[in-house]
Amino acid sequence: MEIEEVYSSRQLDEKEGRQINELIDRSQQPIPDPDRWLEEELERNILLTSVDAILNWARRSSLWTVVAFPACCAFEFITTEASRFDLSRFGMEIIRASPRQADLMITAGTLTWKMAPQIKRIYDQMAEPKWVIAMGACAVSGGIFASSYSVVPGYNRIIPVDVYVPGCPPRPEALIYGIRMLQEKIARQSLIAEDK
Amino acid sequence: MTLALSGSDIAKQIEEKFPGSVVEATDQNLMVEAESLFDIAGYLKDTPGLDFDYLTLITAVDYLDCFEVVYNLTSIKHNHSLVLKARCYSRQNPTLPSVVGLWRTADFQEREIYDLMGISFEGHPNLKRIVLWEGFEGHPLRKDFL
Amino acid sequence: MLAEYGDIGLLLALAIFFAVTTLLLPFSLSLPARLTIYFRRFQHYLETRYPFMTKFVPPLPKFPRFMQVVPYKPNPAKNSTFECGMETIGQAWVRFNFRYYFYALIFIALDVMVVFIYPWAVGLKGLGLFGFIGILVLIFVLFIGYLYAWRKKVLEWK
Repeated sequence: MEIEEVYSSRQLDEKEGRQINELIDRSQQPIPDPDRWLEEELERNILLTSVDAILNWARRSSLWTVVAFPACCAFEFITTEASRFDLSRFGMEIIRASPRQADLMITAGTLTWKMAPQIKRIYDQMAEPKWVIAMGACAVSGGIFASSYSVVPGYNRIIPVDVYVPGCPPRPEALIYGIRMLQEKIARQSLIAEDK
Repeated sequence: MTLALSGSDIAKQIEEKFPGSVVEATDQNLMVEAESLFDIAGYLKDTPGLDFDYLTLITAVDYLDCFEVVYNLTSIKHNHSLVLKARCYSRQNPTLPSVVGLWRTADFQEREIYDLMGISFEGHPNLKRIVLWEGFEGHPLRKDFL
Repeated sequence: MLAEYGDIGLLLALAIFFAVTTLLLPFSLSLPARLTIYFRRFQHYLETRYPFMTKFVPPLPKFPRFMQVVPYKPNPAKNSTFECGMETIGQAWVRFNFRYYFYALIFIALDVMVVFIYPWAVGLKGLGLFGFIGILVLIFVLFIGYLYAWRKKVLEWK
């Protein structure tokens, strides 16, 4: 990626504005959810089933979230993380600041177009395999701000989402249910299938 | 508690100093002409009895026939506050003098008003968009945006 | 090794095994995916730059999907530096403030002194008065240097 030499804050502003406008133009249609493989019947080789089982168990039992929480749903996520609704029992108490060490992005909050390039970049920088849980009404479809001039109508415009957890904000139990759904989805992955 | 000064009291003082500049003075607020806004603000800041050294807030309202910019001033020394208003009637290119020279907090707040309402402030050192991105067309909080 | 050194040998073997596994195992498990991508890139390079060479180079193997346990999917954002979602501007190698150098120098000198004081403290009783005078001389000599730095206003941060 080329690093442009920018010399003044005016040029930085224009560059950021161009970037955001281009992202808006590119994100007119939602990205399809990565779950078409769920419908297919996979022929499972008996040798691979145990490898699959171990790998999927390891991946779903230690999902580490990346720090990317734009708005109020973050507080419900923090509540879920804390002692009453414990996320540590799922192996998820670690929230990694660096996306390279994380494999789950829980998008907790309304996303504005101004922040969208940053979130997309953090998602791109996460190491495979990675999953996304869209938490909250604003993450699913833009919520009550869906028709606003500055709000992205749902994270699936810019990144592919695996599990949608509605709510404004979703209760910790709802978020844990969403995380369990994601764990069941990961349990069904297979090394033979394409795309993850 | 901060005493909210009545506009009518201050209006008399201001009429003496700057004749013809007060448009309307009620108990809640004091409305002045846009041209004399900077002088009146300076007078309010420097006069020993008034001493409005803290600009709490600047907002703008869009009544369809005019824009109205509201300044909430507070005096920390005397613990009283005042609401100062100014109108500008132009729709295409509304302009007001900037009070950044008097109160530094006006810097970001006037940029926000420029960004969302389109009111330009003369004399502002860095008038560019602050919450929306450069290249956004329009001023969203106007009543005729959509 | 067990007979001579006992448990320590076992622990050493375990430590080496752990280090090697942590470094080599993910890398080796990622090799099928990596090599597929590298081979594909090489094929593409040949096809675009030197099309006539494709006759001489045999088709490189593609590892089956079940062998690609560790994924390898590079993209330009992934390969670039992380700065909380922003693009980086400029270099990361910046110039250090020279004042840190003074502190580092004084630290080195006094650290060496501390290295001498520790054994003296351990053998305190045996060294007696003679040892005590000796360590006082050492501290005094190094203190002169420290005093010089102090008076020269080197420790102030202007």
